[in-house]
Amino acid sequence: MDFEDTPEEAEYRAHVRALLEEHSAELVHMDTGEEGAAEGPEQELALRRTQRVLAEAGLVGVAWAREHGGRAGTLAQQSIVHQELARARVPGLINHIGLGMCAPTVIAHGTPAQHEKYLQRLLRADDVWCQLFSEPASGSDLAALRTTAVREGDGWVVNGQKVWTTLAHVADFGILLTRTDPAKPKHAGLTMFVVDMHAPGVEVRPLKQMGGQSNFNEVFFTDVHIPDTERLGEPGEGWRVALTTLLNERVAVGGGGTDLGLSVESLARLAAERVPGLSPERQVLARQALGRAAVAALANRYTGYRRYTAISQGGLPGPEASAGKLAGTASAKLIADLGVRLQGDDAVFLSGADDRWQRTMATLPGLAIAGGTDEVLRNIVGERVLGLPPEPREDKHRPFNEKAAAGPGTGRAAEPANTARTDAPGAMA
Amino acid sequence: MNFDLDTDQRDAAAGAKDFFAGQASPADARRALDGSPVAPGRAALAEVGFLGITVPESAGGAGAGVLDLAVVAEQAGAVLAGPSLVTAARAAVLLADHPDLLAALADGSRGFAVLDGPVGGSAPSLDARDADTFLALDGGALVVGEGEVTSGAPIDATRGLGSVRLTSSRVLVEDAGALWARARQVGAVVLAAEDLGAAGRAVQMGVDYAQMRTAFGRKIGSYQAVKHSLVDAWVGVEQLRSLVWWAAWAADAAPGELPLAASAAKAFAAETLERAAETVIQVHGGVGFTWEHDAHLYWRRAKVDRLLLGDEAEHLDAVAALVLDGALTR
Repeated sequence: MDFEDTPEEAEYRAHVRALLEEHSAELVHMDTGEEGAAEGPEQELALRRTQRVLAEAGLVGVAWAREHGGRAGTLAQQSIVHQELARARVPGLINHIGLGMCAPTVIAHGTPAQHEKYLQRLLRADDVWCQLFSEPASGSDLAALRTTAVREGDGWVVNGQKVWTTLAHVADFGILLTRTDPAKPKHAGLTMFVVDMHAPGVEVRPLKQMGGQSNFNEVFFTDVHIPDTERLGEPGEGWRVALTTLLNERVAVGGGGTDLGLSVESLARLAAERVPGLSPERQVLARQALGRAAVAALANRYTGYRRYTAISQGGLPGPEASAGKLAGTASAKLIADLGVRLQGDDAVFLSGADDRWQRTMATLPGLAIAGGTDEVLRNIVGERVLGLPPEPREDKHRPFNEKAAAGPGTGRAAEPANTARTDAPGAMA
Repeated sequence: MNFDLDTDQRDAAAGAKDFFAGQASPADARRALDGSPVAPGRAALAEVGFLGITVPESAGGAGAGVLDLAVVAEQAGAVLAGPSLVTAARAAVLLADHPDLLAALADGSRGFAVLDGPVGGSAPSLDARDADTFLALDGGALVVGEGEVTSGAPIDATRGLGSVRLTSSRVLVEDAGALWARARQVGAVVLAAEDLGAAGRAVQMGVDYAQMRTAFGRKIGSYQAVKHSLVDAWVGVEQLRSLVWWAAWAADAAPGELPLAASAAKAFAAETLERAAETVIQVHGGVGFTWEHDAHLYWRRAKVDRLLLGDEAEHLDAVAALVLDGALTR
């Protein structure tokens, strides 16, 4: 057991650090806080440029195979790059959905022509990607999706609606899960495509989140033509393809044990500044809350190190990673809550001197839903890790287009919420 | 980075699991409530070598680390074994320069207890009831002596808790404040390791029952209300495992991190074992709160251990003090 770099890792870290210093002037850097990139069109361009510079320096897709534009490096090296980017205060890469989820899916299920066409440009953020999975009527129950793709000539015609699609407003391409055979049971009638987000009939409408920001979108498809050459995997194999995406989402989201909201280090700095000025009674309470938040964050961090060790020794990310997001969400709440309370009178305004705490607070309810709701994650852990019996899934083996007759009213009364997604390892788009 | 047990530690854990399975059980913990001796008892623990894991080889021990002891302690905790390996771990730190006493610790010829609080009447201390040799901090000096034990009706009889008035003492180490603090931190780590074992076993009992018990035509583990409470308890156990490993590693390899890691592990252990023990009772329904069922023995362990070697409030405050002092941001 040790937490040090091996000599090879230390050498690689020094190499990465030198590259980041060399290219420092060409990269976006964050001023305050650790909450990630700012918004707006000028930021989009700056973030695309940042990723391109990093890609040209060989720091994107480090663990990918060379034939796909990667460096054939290790997951440990990938992790070192992430750590050094954070240390240099470079925000998260704009194409994180593409890198974390879309590209692994294209690599696993795409044709050589698709590899050639997409991967290099994705690495450089010449194209930004999004993941078109969730729909208004199928969130946790992803396999109940209704967007259709109908074969026509040498391609397919897509109609329907996706929702909660992160980055769709800036994306050039997306991976799109559709229903191609409604007569089959719900998991069996799905097919995955690559869709050009600039194609006629694709309409993106930004959704404003409760905290005021607009990071995700509704996407409407009206008679959108997709050539058959943009299919990912065989018709009817869409669920299996989607599982690749979701499995990789775990690595991207749950793997590291990093703080999901503001870091415990920023809370520590704020507390060191504010706690001594509190009344003695409030100091006692604040110290208990600080201790609790720090312990929760440390427990996540070291659990993340265990997962990282398992993956770097060749293990596959398992359903245990779902526990990482559950616990990470809980500790993010403890951290942000104390951060806000330490703002004193400013805590009731979104415009205080240190308002990132309030803004982060407003993202936390979403954190417990996006990427797999707390409830679905508990089902995944309960069923796939602890081996507890599954929820009843009455619609699992029934042809999808018979479902409307199953219950009164909307026809969905017999379908329990938040259950079927346990078939999938992870989360939602 | 390699944050995992090595092969020797895994083998040690497996060996300890076998040993404790044959030597101690919740049934023994129940009998102890009626006055039977705790199992496996000091002699058996000495014979298998567990009291001397962190005692140097020159004094008859194994000369191994706190992490090696922690993986054994987890298995001891799973079956509510006694006396506690916390006492052995703590005494081994305190007696580092006293080979005769160390040898007596490792071979079980003396029964040690480490006393918290004043020597004229200590706080209830682990394994004091069956001890004959007491270690205490008296005016900044480490002392050893004999004493008179008083005790009450135990909530958890496996812990051997008693208050001690020293009747004789001699100084072992002058100015022992730092040594005492480190010993207490190592003790907190090993206590958290025992709690890890107890919590893990409690959750497993709950999972086993939820897979088997039927209500309203379904296995109760299929209901989210039951499933999710077991998952929350299990997530706590796995997070506690990470903190215990980190803290035990720090005790051996990064002493500067030990105060933060030990307090984090102890505070988290208190909450985790309590939740696991309450969950296993709730999942079992009526049978869960009977005398005959094992669940309450884990609950008893939880309700006592959370207060030993500093309660959750004390350790959370210690973590806060270290964080405010820059432990995470230096």
